[in-house]
Amino acid sequence: MIQLLASKPFKILNIKIIVLILIISIFLTLPLWSSEYIISVFVLIFLYMSLGQMWNLLAGYTGLVSLGQQIFIGLGGYSLAVITVLYQLPIALGIIVGGVISILFALIISQPIFKMRGDYFTIGTWIVAECLAVFFSVWTYVRGGLGFNIIAAYKLSTTDIYYMAVAMGLGSIALVYFLLRTKIGLALMAMRDNESAAETLGVELYKTKLKVFLIAAFVTGLTGGLLYLSIAYIQPRASFSITWTVAMVFIVIIGGIGTIEGPILGAFFFILIKQYLYNYPGISMIILGTVAILTILIAPKGIVGTLQERYGFEILSIRRR
Amino acid sequence: MQIIQSLLNGILLGGLYAMVALGMSLVFGIMKLTNIAHGDLIIVATYICMVMAVQFSGNLLLAVLITICFMMLIGFLLQTFLINKVLDKGPEPPLLVTFGISITLSNILLLVFGADARYIPNTLKTINIVNTEHFSISAIYLLNFIVAIVVICTLHYIMKNTFFGRSIRATADDVTTAELMGVNTKRIYSYTMCLAMVISSIAGLLVGMNYTYYPSTGTEYLIYAFGVVVIGGMGNQMGILLGGIILGIAQLMGAYFFGTGYQLLAGYLVLLIILTIRPQGILSKATRR
Amino acid sequence: MATVLDVQDIGISFGNNHVLKSLSLELKESEVLGVIGPNGAGKTVMLNILTGIMRPTKGQILFQGENITNLSTTERCRKGIGRTFQVPRPFEKMTVFENILVGSVYGDRKSEKEARVKALEIMELIGLTEKKGWFAGKLGLLDRKRLEIGRALASNPKVLLFDEVAGGLTESEVSDILGMVRMVKEQGISVIWIEHVLKTMREGTDRVLCIAEGRNVICGIPEEVMRSKEVHDVYLGADEE
Repeated sequence: MIQLLASKPFKILNIKIIVLILIISIFLTLPLWSSEYIISVFVLIFLYMSLGQMWNLLAGYTGLVSLGQQIFIGLGGYSLAVITVLYQLPIALGIIVGGVISILFALIISQPIFKMRGDYFTIGTWIVAECLAVFFSVWTYVRGGLGFNIIAAYKLSTTDIYYMAVAMGLGSIALVYFLLRTKIGLALMAMRDNESAAETLGVELYKTKLKVFLIAAFVTGLTGGLLYLSIAYIQPRASFSITWTVAMVFIVIIGGIGTIEGPILGAFFFILIKQYLYNYPGISMIILGTVAILTILIAPKGIVGTLQERYGFEILSIRRR
Repeated sequence: MQIIQSLLNGILLGGLYAMVALGMSLVFGIMKLTNIAHGDLIIVATYICMVMAVQFSGNLLLAVLITICFMMLIGFLLQTFLINKVLDKGPEPPLLVTFGISITLSNILLLVFGADARYIPNTLKTINIVNTEHFSISAIYLLNFIVAIVVICTLHYIMKNTFFGRSIRATADDVTTAELMGVNTKRIYSYTMCLAMVISSIAGLLVGMNYTYYPSTGTEYLIYAFGVVVIGGMGNQMGILLGGIILGIAQLMGAYFFGTGYQLLAGYLVLLIILTIRPQGILSKATRR
Repeated sequence: MATVLDVQDIGISFGNNHVLKSLSLELKESEVLGVIGPNGAGKTVMLNILTGIMRPTKGQILFQGENITNLSTTERCRKGIGRTFQVPRPFEKMTVFENILVGSVYGDRKSEKEARVKALEIMELIGLTEKKGWFAGKLGLLDRKRLEIGRALASNPKVLLFDEVAGGLTESEVSDILGMVRMVKEQGISVIWIEHVLKTMREGTDRVLCIAEGRNVICGIPEEVMRSKEVHDVYLGADEE
């Protein structure tokens, strides 16, 4: 079935493009015909989609199960706060600096952290995040545990933030899609199937993993900055909290790990449950936790992966023909 | 001599950390599972202990005995119905299932007990057993250390000299052969988790007697446990005490030289450095998947 | 003819356990060198050392006159040493075409555009053109072996290492593999071919090296080696004791 589809004519491609354009134009015009509340929900959906895409790129495509991605959310958020509050510089600069600092920090920690394999890597990244949380709590330059009110964010309307979030969400999808169609994508697929065979064919495992780790850090850092534009208050414990990565894991697991469509669906699912149970935050986490466990037990490939297996479709195919 | 006091406290605190890590080490050694829910399970035990202590008007011994029963049941159910199902499905699923359990448990605690800091009241904390002009030894720290040694020795005895211990070790050495010899490995895993829960219940009580705790404290203890296990070597009970002591000293030296704000950070950094230099642990002979 | 690969007195030991004591071999341009030996002779260890998975504790390996003893697997691949695995390890969730692309893009450092052209040629050579879009996981054993050879060919090697490439195949399939080895040789590629089944070696190789207990035993023209007393002793001597 899947092989058959791999050679299907262009018609399906055309339909796909039309549907894609339709969906994108709906999202682009959303602020024109919808309520403030709906817009703010979609801000979250798009930003979490970006987070999910990056975690999926790491865990689903590269085999790097990191529980420390909150590092880059925190760094992104704090960069925004420091640039706009301490130095009174523009928001855009704050966001970009957040991405750059994230990538630099990722580069620095990659040396020690890549020496750890498997479970050690997973918990090692988490320890780094906890270190930062503790360090930022005592670091006077960032006002320790007090944190910042990101005043500059108040000047922006929800619509402004919405368009940035759309760009981030759709951008992250496009990034992963095109990345997987480059040489790196080919290497990642090969490594995922058999690392030793990939190595004997000249694939540089370390370099490839490092590149992906840096890309994920950069995008997660940018997204972190945008998230804190909408939250507008930052404080170490919350910004470096494991809760961020919990969200990423749930989005990817429930949606379907190792698929591009998975995190898209997962982000909708996650934010809708979160919003629906907004007044019972504890309960929503318990429900999500349980759903995630059940997903791993019953349908380990998530919603999208299971559907793909059963019906053999791929919306965003990264196959080479 | 403040530094001697810090050093001494660090060593004694090592007993608490060893207790926290022992269950995780056991689980890793036997079933090669990094249990991310370990810290939260300890904190669950702490909360149950607290409730029981109130029920039995402060009788902590009775409280911990009942907690052990509860925790064994919880551990058995989690292992049998969730973790055992994914253990042979590659590296990620078990990790993520225990992560899911971790998040679910800490949020159940939050729901039931609220976000307030809690503490198991006891008189040991205020008593000093030894009091000289240079240093003092607090009763609770000494208790940590003694309990750790007793539990480690008992565990060592069980593993070496009982049929139960031997079949656990046989399973750890070679799953296939153990199964051929008629050992039900999945059942053994469930029992191992129960044993880990017994230890973790005691650790939970000690945690509650030493420090205040919140529903989210589990993360902190997971990292301590993981760190100690890494330093001491996965599945090596004797190394665990040493690992605990190293972590304890690192923390209190950090606090001594840089101020109390850096106590946690110093501990974490030492862990990261050790993880980088010697990812298999200082004492272990490379027992990894 | 020029020597492509010169292995000089390599050995490896883990503590007191000398797995490979002393092994030397010379591989000429477009030569097929068979390596035989009983179980535990050190054939697989030799292969692992040649591909860089293990580092020898003594001796050195010269590839086209350059010392490559301390290069990584990836670097060796890029210099021109390819291999197949005893149990084929195709990238199961990738198509046949993509499998070969990996070799061409990474092993030969081609751009993807050039690599596509090359991959098509190679699929023709190994006879998998019709199964281009198949997932490698769906292939049978012979096709998996073909794919592995093709994938290695795509990395543009000077030397190919075949690890029991004829193992587990039927007689007609083996003759298929023999044809592939001939084809590889015709491309000017040298081959080191490790095999358990002696019969295949007689037909497919130019020279045969017999090793036992981690040492060279005898090396020469296939017929002579097979008939030699040394090989007889190595294979049968153990049984008689």
